[in-house]
Amino acid sequence: MGARRLTPADRIYMSLNYTVLFVFCVTALYPFIYFLALSFNDGYDAMKGGIYLYPRVFTLENYIKAFNNPLILNSFFISISRTLVVTVFSVLLTALLAYALSRKGLPGRKYIVFFFFFTTLFSGGLIPTFILFRQLQILDTFWVLVLPSLYNFFNAIIMKTFFDGIPEGLSESARIDGASELSVFARIVMPLSMPVLATIALFVGVGVWNDWFTGQFFIQNENLQPAATFLNKMISEASFQSMTSSSGNSGSAIQNMTETQMELRGVTPEALRMTFVIIITTPIICVYPFLQKYFVKGVLVGSLKE
Amino acid sequence: MMPRGVIIPGFEQVRRNKKFAKIWYFRHIYLFLLPAIVWFLVFAYYPMYGILIAFKDFKYNLGILGSPWAGFKFFEQFLNDSSFYDVLRNTLSISALKLIFGFPAPLILALMLNGVMHERIKKVFQTISYLPHFVSWVVVVTLMQKILSPNVGLVNDIRYQMGLDPIFFMGMPSLFYPLVVISDIWKGVGWGSIIYLAALTNIDPHLYEAAEIDGAGRWSKLFKITLPCLTPTIGILLIFSLSGILNAGFDQIWLMQSPSTLSVSEILDTYVLKTGLQQGQLAYSTAIGLFKSAISLILIVAVNNISRRVSDVSLW
Repeated sequence: MGARRLTPADRIYMSLNYTVLFVFCVTALYPFIYFLALSFNDGYDAMKGGIYLYPRVFTLENYIKAFNNPLILNSFFISISRTLVVTVFSVLLTALLAYALSRKGLPGRKYIVFFFFFTTLFSGGLIPTFILFRQLQILDTFWVLVLPSLYNFFNAIIMKTFFDGIPEGLSESARIDGASELSVFARIVMPLSMPVLATIALFVGVGVWNDWFTGQFFIQNENLQPAATFLNKMISEASFQSMTSSSGNSGSAIQNMTETQMELRGVTPEALRMTFVIIITTPIICVYPFLQKYFVKGVLVGSLKE
Repeated sequence: MMPRGVIIPGFEQVRRNKKFAKIWYFRHIYLFLLPAIVWFLVFAYYPMYGILIAFKDFKYNLGILGSPWAGFKFFEQFLNDSSFYDVLRNTLSISALKLIFGFPAPLILALMLNGVMHERIKKVFQTISYLPHFVSWVVVVTLMQKILSPNVGLVNDIRYQMGLDPIFFMGMPSLFYPLVVISDIWKGVGWGSIIYLAALTNIDPHLYEAAEIDGAGRWSKLFKITLPCLTPTIGILLIFSLSGILNAGFDQIWLMQSPSTLSVSEILDTYVLKTGLQQGQLAYSTAIGLFKSAISLILIVAVNNISRRVSDVSLW
């Protein structure tokens, strides 16, 4: 951009541009503010409506109830341990795969890449996967929350492209000095690749944290269900209630409380859901802005044609 | 009839040794690949073998190979199923609407963000626009259900104060598609714009300077420089979208659908899940899944080949 003076047309264009972007950002942010206000408001008072930006009858009761409920607490414990385990192992294993694929001159590399790439084009589908889990006997165990999430070939491609950019000379000279492949990988490649490792860790971590499907359909044991699944069960119970209660009267919804919600008496199920949404979203909101500069580059690199 | 005289005796042997020496040199790298190969064989390729049950009267105790063959029975059953046309129509309608309205959205956002001259403000706008991408559909649908709820949801609350009757937005079949498309754009537009923003930074600024000297205005610069420079990126993304036309978005649709919207909200993926995991018709459900995967695979190969031929843009 040169140092040209802005014409009136430019000014109109700019202010229109800024206004539209501002409105979009408000719509992206506002639902969370709305829920934040409701989660800190007394549930019965909230039923009167009219809470938009801040709580009217401030209370911490919703959060206290949420954190004192063994099922909620347990689902968080499951989600946190699952996310940690999957993220650590997935990043390490994917890096190992990506490093191997980035080694030039590897005999048969074309065929090996196709072996992995094909899985992104075609898959067995839901039922064969379900039968596989059954045969492996990992249904309804912690394993089903971990093992199937370990690899994603797109992540490997992003890492491989990053590794391709590391000068060959660095690892070559280490090899001449007698370093093994493993120590080249661990001592030279990995430390240089922190940006891409952080990006992939974010992608994997967020994906696993947000995954409700596995818990919903492959886990029966209530003590093993992740937080996202638990939240989904709370909503489907609620929408079922608003279906059945003719006038959509919240009063009858409370009388129809299911077993899970019985233990939460004292706060409305509605307020508890708002609270739950805030609790489940907070870790993500805290993490992603800090990794933004990495994943913007990561997406760029991963999108380049092979 | 190869002339053999010129071959040095033992040459083949040397070449084979060389090849073997090279493989031996990379032995540790193959070891690095081993866990990935095992995982993909088990979790990606073994389910492909499991597809066989689409052609079998599958019984758990008989196993995949042991179950009796059923031929194309389940495919015929699906094609004759009264839900077939509804499910296919819903899938294609939702995908097409998402493509028409959702595909240009990230491009427009990127162009708008690119027009923001203050770096700081641009960063803030960008960061906020990514936020919805990072929360799960469970959370997004919860937000929607609350905001649109007939009992003191935000929208009906405002309608009430204006003296209007509450509307049960999420339960109305006529509003299902608009809500699906709008929420899909809301969630994905910021994230989708990253790739265009990256491509925009790669455009040579000299092109714009030269155009300005020639007296080009805002719009002619957009149509003569910016969009042509973005064409390869747009092309790649279009290939992806077109080949995914049978993916209407499982998570979103499953979570948003309710008994009252079923006539417009049942898509291939949700139907597979219901017939398979919920009703236990494993073979039938697998057949429907295979129908979908096969068409998707054909589509992605076809679209990619056509695109490579006409525009040189392709995934492989």
